[in-house]
Amino acid sequence: MIENVPGAQNVEEVLAHDPVYQVLGRRLAHPVFLGVVLFLIVVVMIVFGPSTESRFIYTDF
Amino acid sequence: MVALVLVVLLAALDAAVAAWFPRFDRVSDNFSAAYLEREVEALAHDPPQAIFLGDSVLWGYRLPAADAAPTLLRRKGMAVNNLSFEGGSPANTYAMLRLLEARGVHPRLVVFNVNQKEFSAADSAYQKLHPSLETLSWPLLTGDERKLLTPTPPSTTQKPIEVALDRWVTSFWRFYALRSDLREALFGDVDAVHALDDAIQVASGAKARSDAAHKPTPDRFEGTYDLSPIDPQNVSLIFLKKILALLARDHIPAVALLTPTNHTLLHEFIDVPEYQKNLAFTRKLLERGGVRVVDLDRTFAAGEFIDNDHLTAAGNQRMAGLLGPVLAQ
Repeated sequence: MIENVPGAQNVEEVLAHDPVYQVLGRRLAHPVFLGVVLFLIVVVMIVFGPSTESRFIYTDF
Repeated sequence: MVALVLVVLLAALDAAVAAWFPRFDRVSDNFSAAYLEREVEALAHDPPQAIFLGDSVLWGYRLPAADAAPTLLRRKGMAVNNLSFEGGSPANTYAMLRLLEARGVHPRLVVFNVNQKEFSAADSAYQKLHPSLETLSWPLLTGDERKLLTPTPPSTTQKPIEVALDRWVTSFWRFYALRSDLREALFGDVDAVHALDDAIQVASGAKARSDAAHKPTPDRFEGTYDLSPIDPQNVSLIFLKKILALLARDHIPAVALLTPTNHTLLHEFIDVPEYQKNLAFTRKLLERGGVRVVDLDRTFAAGEFIDNDHLTAAGNQRMAGLLGPVLAQ
């Protein structure tokens, strides 16, 4: 990849030339975006998490 | 800044849950203390015509909530609320009544069922309260009442620190406290993994094979009904008397249903004088306590049962038809 960016010495410099990273990278670094992502992770973990609550086991036949 | 955004969003979610979390036709299979508390608060503000308290028979075991008799009565326009749950018993009914009393709910009518099998010490709910009901009602019970009960044992899947943390978070975060009710509403099961497993079982045919293997046969119910005369020390009897005393003290009219029982299936065990004597004893006790008794013990045919006492959708429909005029009186 470094070979494709003339003059780039490391990955950061390569990414700096990448148009996708320029848009996404800025958003990822934005605190509001990070806060929203963290919020979604917390909600998804709770909704899709395993049930650990004590459950009354109904015994039938 | 990130933490602030997270906290604001979580607070907004909690406010939305407080405002819009639905009230279900019946408590979920795995209902939380937070849901029960919320339901009781709602009942205190808007008392229904009748509150059903009872076990899985009134809850609508193995049936969608829409097919349970109390829901059918509600669909007919009666203001009915179903606080029955799987694993009910006189002790649980009493604890629920104490909770309603403490939160200022004064129902116009209480309908509860009395199931002969729950007088057996072998019954899973004989001395145990549902954990969520236990959380809310334990402080309301007297020392003597607590001694009659076996508290829910500590969790075997969670470490004490996890349990403490869980309680702490539950105390202030409504969304987390209602997670078990939310999961059941979304997935129809205790969690997504169980729901997925169920879907696989259905798709592979394993569920159909398992259901076929679990056809109720009489031998599975040997010992379910204790036919010895109901002893004064019987925990269910003690709590049944407490139910009657509480209803009389609070001037709450009540209807007691003698639970439908599949006499065809259980013929060799319960079609004996001892069963009839215990049933007559219970009936007399209820009538002496000022409760209207509806005897459904022999009302239903074998084809209307799933097993020993749980009714099919058609059975629930007939039960609703029988209870409609009783509730309208």
